[in-house]
Amino acid sequence: MASRDFLGEFEHIVVLALLRLADQAYGVTVRREIEVRTDRDVSIGAIYATLDRLEAKGYVKSHLGDPTPERGGRSKRFFRVTGKGMTAVNRAQRALLSMTEGLDLVRSYSQ
Amino acid sequence: MTEPSFVQPPRLAVWLVNLFTPYEQAESIPGDLLEEFSDLSLKSGATLAHRWYWRQTVKTIAYLIGSGFRFAPWRITGAVLMGRLLLLYGLMLPERLIVAVLRVYPISPDYDHKNVVALWMFWVPLAIQVGWVIVAMFIGSLVAMVAKGREMVATMTLGLTFLAPRLVGMVILWAPPFFRADVFFVFIVAFVVGGGIVRKLRLAVLTRRSAMIEEQQ
Repeated sequence: MASRDFLGEFEHIVVLALLRLADQAYGVTVRREIEVRTDRDVSIGAIYATLDRLEAKGYVKSHLGDPTPERGGRSKRFFRVTGKGMTAVNRAQRALLSMTEGLDLVRSYSQ
Repeated sequence: MTEPSFVQPPRLAVWLVNLFTPYEQAESIPGDLLEEFSDLSLKSGATLAHRWYWRQTVKTIAYLIGSGFRFAPWRITGAVLMGRLLLLYGLMLPERLIVAVLRVYPISPDYDHKNVVALWMFWVPLAIQVGWVIVAMFIGSLVAMVAKGREMVATMTLGLTFLAPRLVGMVILWAPPFFRADVFFVFIVAFVVGGGIVRKLRLAVLTRRSAMIEEQQ
């Protein structure tokens, strides 16, 4: 299997955030979702750099919404996970589960 | 559409974000930052929101520079190489031009000696340096035209490739007198300003074009 078919750690998190947010996934909501769930201070630039990489790989697709006044008349760019992206995230999840199977991570971490 | 009348984010930071944002994200990134800034200023006050905006600006620009290299490495490398080649010949131009002008219009032998000294000691070197800045801005704008959409990354890289050999030379030879940091800083600023002008013009054209398409629809 080609190495480019694997998701990086942050890519994995971003794809999962897109899946959680469904049709409400755009820069602000994705950033907040990751910040709240992972307790990680993420910049909007990091989110877009990752989303662009995922879009270039064909894992996500984007479209522009309508301009809104609270955004100074600028449009939101909504993202959704493609079939190829779903396959990739499933593969990444399976790999993670397979690697952690049988490990007592809580005990190992505390030692 | 007019901007709503709540607290505005720092102008310089907004300008910097707009300068580095690729065209395809010109709506989404500044819009997202403004939306979060507005929420934060309502919840936590303007000071904290301003601080947050600046932190996001610095981080976002760093990511945009990195992603610029990842997404258009050949376009940026090509533009920078072209800039380097143009610099080889371009920086000789002001001196040659001034010498050519002085050949066509030689200084009269009756001219006051003091003025002749001032001309060669002050005015000619100053004119050459101004010429260098103009050439650097022109080359910066050409590099920006080639690096379509990644203007600032390309012109900043050109500046760094211009500065790096001098820095290395200075460290190896430990020869600070040969390294005029102020002159090289002016060069880098001139490249970036040239690139910035091209970017602003291109953005204005794109905005006008999309407004016309909207009107037609």
